[in-house]
Amino acid sequence: MRLIGVALATLLSHYRRHPGQLAMLLMGLWVAGALWSGVQAINASARDNYARAEALLGSGFDRLEREDGQTLTRDDFIQLRRAGVLVSPLIEGELITDSGEKLTLIGIDPLTLPGDSSLARTRASGGLQGFITPPWQTRLAPDTRAQLGNQPTLNSGTPFPPMVDVPALPPNTLVMDIAIVAQLLTTGDSITALVSAADALPAAPRGFTLVRADTRTSPGQLTQSFHLNLTAMALLALIVGLFIVQAALGLALEQRLGLLRTLRALGVSGRTLVVLMALELVLLGLLGALAGLVSGLWLAKTLLPDVAATLQSLYGADVSGKLSLPWHYWLGGIGVTLGGLFIAGSGVLWRASRISLLGLGQAQAWRAGFQRQLRVQTLLGGAAALSAVALLWLSTREGQGLDLGLVGGFGLVAAIILAAALWLPPLLALVLSLLLSGLSHLTRLARSWPLTQWALADLQLQLPRLSLAMMALLIALSANLGVSSMVGGFRLTFLDWLDQRLMADLYLRPAAAQFADIDAWLAQRDAVNERLITADATSQLLEITSSNTTDKSVRRPGLPLSVFGITPGQTLMADWPLLNTLGDRDAAWQALQHGDAFINEQLARGEVIAPGDRLSLATPGGVESVTVVGIYPDYGNPRGEVVLATHQLQQLFRVPPVSIGIVMHPGEDAGLLSQQLIERFKLTAHSLRDQREVKATATEIFERTFAITRALNGLTLGVAALALLATLLAQAQERRRRLAALWAIGVPLRQLLGIQLAQLAGAALITGLLAIPLGIAITACLVWGINVAAFGWRLPLYIFPGEISLTLITAVLVALLAAGLPMLKLWRTPPRSLLAEEDT
Amino acid sequence: MNNQWHLNSLIRGLSVLCLLLLGACGPASEHGSQTQPVTESAKRADSAKNSGADVNGGGRAGFANLGAASQGYAHASSATYLSFPEDHGPHPDFRIEWWYLTANLVDDNGEPLGMQWTLFRQAQQPIAKIEAEPKSEHKAEPWSTDQIWMAHMALSRGENHRVAERFARGASVPLPNTAQQAGVTAQPFRAWLDDWQLESQARNPGDDALDHLRLTAQAKDENGPFGYRLELEAEGPLVRHGIRGFSQKSADGQGSMYYSQPFYRVSGEVMLEGEHVAVSGRAWLDREWSSQLLSASQTGWDWFSLHLDSGARLMAFRLRGGGANQDDYLSGSWISPDGEVTPLNASTLTLVPLESAKAAGHRVPLRWRLTLPEQNIELEIVARQANRWMNTSVLYWEGAVSVSDAASGAPRGQGYLEMTGYDMVRQKSE
Repeated sequence: MRLIGVALATLLSHYRRHPGQLAMLLMGLWVAGALWSGVQAINASARDNYARAEALLGSGFDRLEREDGQTLTRDDFIQLRRAGVLVSPLIEGELITDSGEKLTLIGIDPLTLPGDSSLARTRASGGLQGFITPPWQTRLAPDTRAQLGNQPTLNSGTPFPPMVDVPALPPNTLVMDIAIVAQLLTTGDSITALVSAADALPAAPRGFTLVRADTRTSPGQLTQSFHLNLTAMALLALIVGLFIVQAALGLALEQRLGLLRTLRALGVSGRTLVVLMALELVLLGLLGALAGLVSGLWLAKTLLPDVAATLQSLYGADVSGKLSLPWHYWLGGIGVTLGGLFIAGSGVLWRASRISLLGLGQAQAWRAGFQRQLRVQTLLGGAAALSAVALLWLSTREGQGLDLGLVGGFGLVAAIILAAALWLPPLLALVLSLLLSGLSHLTRLARSWPLTQWALADLQLQLPRLSLAMMALLIALSANLGVSSMVGGFRLTFLDWLDQRLMADLYLRPAAAQFADIDAWLAQRDAVNERLITADATSQLLEITSSNTTDKSVRRPGLPLSVFGITPGQTLMADWPLLNTLGDRDAAWQALQHGDAFINEQLARGEVIAPGDRLSLATPGGVESVTVVGIYPDYGNPRGEVVLATHQLQQLFRVPPVSIGIVMHPGEDAGLLSQQLIERFKLTAHSLRDQREVKATATEIFERTFAITRALNGLTLGVAALALLATLLAQAQERRRRLAALWAIGVPLRQLLGIQLAQLAGAALITGLLAIPLGIAITACLVWGINVAAFGWRLPLYIFPGEISLTLITAVLVALLAAGLPMLKLWRTPPRSLLAEEDT
Repeated sequence: MNNQWHLNSLIRGLSVLCLLLLGACGPASEHGSQTQPVTESAKRADSAKNSGADVNGGGRAGFANLGAASQGYAHASSATYLSFPEDHGPHPDFRIEWWYLTANLVDDNGEPLGMQWTLFRQAQQPIAKIEAEPKSEHKAEPWSTDQIWMAHMALSRGENHRVAERFARGASVPLPNTAQQAGVTAQPFRAWLDDWQLESQARNPGDDALDHLRLTAQAKDENGPFGYRLELEAEGPLVRHGIRGFSQKSADGQGSMYYSQPFYRVSGEVMLEGEHVAVSGRAWLDREWSSQLLSASQTGWDWFSLHLDSGARLMAFRLRGGGANQDDYLSGSWISPDGEVTPLNASTLTLVPLESAKAAGHRVPLRWRLTLPEQNIELEIVARQANRWMNTSVLYWEGAVSVSDAASGAPRGQGYLEMTGYDMVRQKSE
């Protein structure tokens, strides 16, 4: 036992002499762990939020709506109850606190609310009396409370009703008694919903329509793709971090080979040595994982507000800006880091177990080993490439274009990256040996370039250790290029699309009572060219009848969707973006005018609908059938949508018009008109917005959406740079020994340093060059595969020369930067001490 | 163990000051009582236990918090005179009130059935307090609430016992010209919650509003729909219990205003297990309101309303605790066939439980000996079924009983028995 203690101390003493290696090991673990656990914290927190949001309505409520489309009132509620229809009133609304926090406010009647939802359960704690009588209560989740601060107020100074914690409530949601909510939202007699327990009502009462607790996709399902994206990104960081660890461990083993042999010779068995080294791994792993976990939490806290904003704007999912983590998250974080460490360290342990007692740890032996390793890598890379090809073949075999699932898409990206990364060291080795042999051919003809030859040979010798760092760099660079090209391309497409969609100069959303007056007034203005009136409704897609002559199948998705009404006038018909139409554009617009429909790309892809197919939609008057005559892009909308001409929609769904888009004649002043509108109709700033404002908002949402992607992307690249730096630092000492000899022969230090930098920059440049096609391939997978699966839309592939050159420059800069630090140290060291190091 | 229970109940009771007659668990729509899971009833028992501390945190406050202090409310007293039809309507200045109907029915084949329909009213705060509050606080109309209405319905036949419960918010002063989900009006008399309704059908000018009533109620649970539609015709006068309608409930002197119409003859139909069954029989309506029904030390009651074959009626109750020397408190009314009342007390009435059985996991006494020495009557009262547990937000036992002569065993009549507070007993014994 004592022997083991001594042996362990001896093994660990290595790190006392080489604290840099210890630092590098821990840093690798820390960085990998931090990014991974940070992202997992974000995911876990968001999932917890979704679970709470779903539990809010329990197994779901059926809703009753008035057939005439009027707002529900308290009288409707009483009448239905008196007729024995067990419904419960809800008032839902948005509340903005004095400090600007936006909250969802739900007013319930706890006495009639059915079921086992969190909403219904909120009445259980703290007593009913306090909830329903003044001063009432504010039920909210602890994280919402923390976000609101100590004394939140409303309507300039009114305090909230006393707050009661209900952890099961979703974030940013307040639940109060319906009486106080009606007062706070000044809704008077009207209510937003009448709910009943799911399937409790056999049919809709007369005068009402029944909307069943729908099959609507939950936020958890919708956002799955986003979280998968984040996870993939974090996994990338983890792998890159583990590259660092692997490099550090390999180095530590290499330098301790002598020590290990001595220990073996002193009687420590091979098995004990392996156990001891595993123990060392566990110790280091725990330390690194804990550090990673702590930093990961910090990272998650920093990024979460952005993620929350993204999820809100992309999917309308409400996620708290505060972390809330389940217990298994903590174990998971440490587990993954430790698991990764053991994968990274298993090679080292395996090698340690096979140390021959008498063998010599020599560079040449290493090289032979490296050659074997290169062959293995080439083969593995081939296997990865084959699986990428197989995935591609599988996905294109069925339909036209790429049709991977989300997992398939990420699988393809992973396979491509893996293949490229594995092939990088053999490629570098090949380039080097070609250069060397080329050079030796040249030397026969002319004067030799001994230094160049040395530099190449030396680089060859460095390659075994450099290769891992270069692989990490390649992965980071190509992922970076791929993601930024995708985001950039998306940005171009999106802005273009915004320009086409937002054609009116002013957007007006008047109160229902004012609508007709305002519209009539606008009709008489000479400055106004066109009035684009919109309306919306919700419906259910009951049936899809394919127009395909060979396949007359009928599908019944029963999918809830929104229906949007547009006014097909000159303005829209000229520019409104359409991806695909039945017949030409003009014919499609004519058909829309006469009652046919457009659908968005998400719906077309999700339900495989082509122009010409017929859709059966549920309307208040019964089932209506429309023909799809066009498909339009609809970026940023998570759900399927059907577009009808406004007048058709109003007729079918019995809904009032909602907004007016005002198109001015060229040269007319929209600002003037908006002034007149505001003065004449006492409009609020909220109900009238100009085009610039709408565009700015949309663009801002877009930027926020990809802020997190960019942040993670940058971090990954940073980790790769760290990996390279760590590798170079680790071998700096050994390198100095080699340089010392040259120096002693009389090669100037400046030239030596130049060679060093050139070596690394060259290797990095080759890596960077390889990263370009790889990055483009990743972009293609993202825009054609993963985006389609994740969001339901397909983007054109854009290539940005700027991004590409930036990638190359980054590669070289990172290499130079990483080489700089050891170089600086070398610069300061007197030659004599360099030579003296040869002996150690 | 007992200490800890007491401490818990004290701490939790402080935070759960409020009612619990009505809000122990809130409405859980309508349940079939037989299928209620054990955990659920344990939970309910637990919350009822929580109510066992009074406002001062000083100890038990009776069943369902009915013993809680009642400052700010009006109080029942022997100086109050009942006047009709006004007193058929609600008394929002009192804390609690009920319209309580039970009936012993038979179908055409002679098979007995039982039914209960009750509308409870519970004030959430004294009216005086509401009026004292600044106007701004009171603006939350039309949803503002200071009264909670709760209705229970039960329909039983043999092993089958169906129960439903509903709630509604109400206001002591409803907004004029607005429909209400629940309420009671005295003229014309109508008591309702949702589509459950007890309505006066009295046409003759000299009749009391309660002389002719129609009751309709139906509910649905996982075993299907059930309900009843009954016509009630009084064959005797209203009966005031205690001192002209003031019914004392403990030696401390607190009590309730309490009158009954025990002389109903019933006909109509019930819906059970998918069939409509014509029924007839006898019914009993209790009207009671109070602000502190129990004293703090009383834990529950055993309440009898009996139709004797002689034409006489008998109301008797035992309040457990709260008598002289902390004995049980006994009271009742002997009602002659023409409606003359003889009040009963501990010296003229004895009630002895003879045998207990389990109902939905709670031990309740189901066989009783009732003795009236002055009337020279000794009766044995037996519950027809043990399974009459009311698994509502307030837990109690309510079911039909058979009455026989204690000595000869000859049948003497039938009636209803209500027992409260036994869910707490179970908690304590475990």
